[in-house]
Amino acid sequence: MKQPFKAWLAGAWAVFEKDLRLELRSRYAVGMLLMFVPASILLILFATGQEPLSPRIQSGLLWIVILFAASIGLGRSFVSEEDRGTVLLLRLHTRASMVYAGKLLFNFFLILVLEAVAVFTMILLLNIEVAHSGLLASTILLGSLGLAGATTLLAALIARAATRGPLLPVLLFPLLVPLLMSVVAGTRHAFEGGFGWGASGEALTTLAAFAGVVITAAVLLFDFVWND
Amino acid sequence: MATPGKTYKRLRNIVLAWLTLVVLGGFLLDIPRINILEHTARNLYFHVPMWFTMMAAFFVSAWHSARYLSSRDRVRDVRALEAARVGAVFGILGLATGIVWARFTWYVGQGIWWNFDPKQTMAAVQLLIYGAYFTLRASVEEPEKRARIAAVYNLFAAACVPFLLYVLPRQMESLHPGAEGNPAFSDITHPIMRVVFYAAVIGFIGLFWVLYTQRVRLAALNERADDIPEP
Repeated sequence: MKQPFKAWLAGAWAVFEKDLRLELRSRYAVGMLLMFVPASILLILFATGQEPLSPRIQSGLLWIVILFAASIGLGRSFVSEEDRGTVLLLRLHTRASMVYAGKLLFNFFLILVLEAVAVFTMILLLNIEVAHSGLLASTILLGSLGLAGATTLLAALIARAATRGPLLPVLLFPLLVPLLMSVVAGTRHAFEGGFGWGASGEALTTLAAFAGVVITAAVLLFDFVWND
Repeated sequence: MATPGKTYKRLRNIVLAWLTLVVLGGFLLDIPRINILEHTARNLYFHVPMWFTMMAAFFVSAWHSARYLSSRDRVRDVRALEAARVGAVFGILGLATGIVWARFTWYVGQGIWWNFDPKQTMAAVQLLIYGAYFTLRASVEEPEKRARIAAVYNLFAAACVPFLLYVLPRQMESLHPGAEGNPAFSDITHPIMRVVFYAAVIGFIGLFWVLYTQRVRLAALNERADDIPEP
């Protein structure tokens, strides 16, 4: 333990690498997300028909699809540990904050994949022209950080509860109202054009602050969920 | 804690007498007639204190959740749960009085029940969080684990909710005093109304305290009854 911080980073990275390797073997979460997102966007397309949608509705629909996909796909990150009986092993070898950091990184990575698919499909199928791609990218990055932070803690909570399936959306959605409003505002500005960075500064700072608060609170509270 | 002491009973009676006076004063004292509002202005005495009470309940609940995690004392968990329950009732009443008030003054003839007012939206979100909290509790069997998990969720929600205070008013218009274009609360209130209003705030928070302590007592008695072996 010469360099505690380095050891901590190595532990967190090991958890991330383990999850990534397991995911590459089974391809369960990625496969599910890759199917869920295009399927729901196609449903939107069938439901709205030829009607042109305003940027506000486009960005709202995009983020609702992303939130639902995240709440379904990421709920498994801790349940799988309980199912395989690997919780004790992880608890023995790593500290709680390392597990949280590793899982957070993995979930962040999954959300980025999901969002890339969602945005690409949406732009292609709904003929959206992105006026400000830098703004879109930074909104998505900051938004997914907050989303991953909240989902990771709540997924750990769900894994401890008896009924695991549909509880995550119920717990997650009320907490994400501020995040949803800010990402939709940022995405709308990116789709509409005519807005510079200044107009969306408020949304971006809110997203950064939200991610910071959520991740700090989650790190503090994760100990109580993880250790008995 | 199961048998209430003399001070508790006295305080409880004071709260009940106080609230009776507030209700009488709220309906009988003369108030200035304001255009549109007219006599519905009396709803100020009931609608607004519900919000104050819900916020107080929210803080009490979060405080006991935090204390539970540091002490693992089961009473703390019961207190957090009962504060949330009573707070949710006040939240529903506040939402209901607000919706009816807006419907029959500002939106009369328009048939609008739900408008996207920031405070209304925030109350709805808070009620959803209470609902999620109760659902989460129902899904865990083991009492110790249930208490711990519920406390974590309660505190996590308490960290997320304040963002609404910042985000919502920037994206929505408001009917409430102090919002853009609306006069601040202090400009529109008659001195008599103010006295009754502040008394009502204290009275309803007192009512919350009575209901909350009674429910905690009931939970303690139930627990004790469970411990008595069947004859």
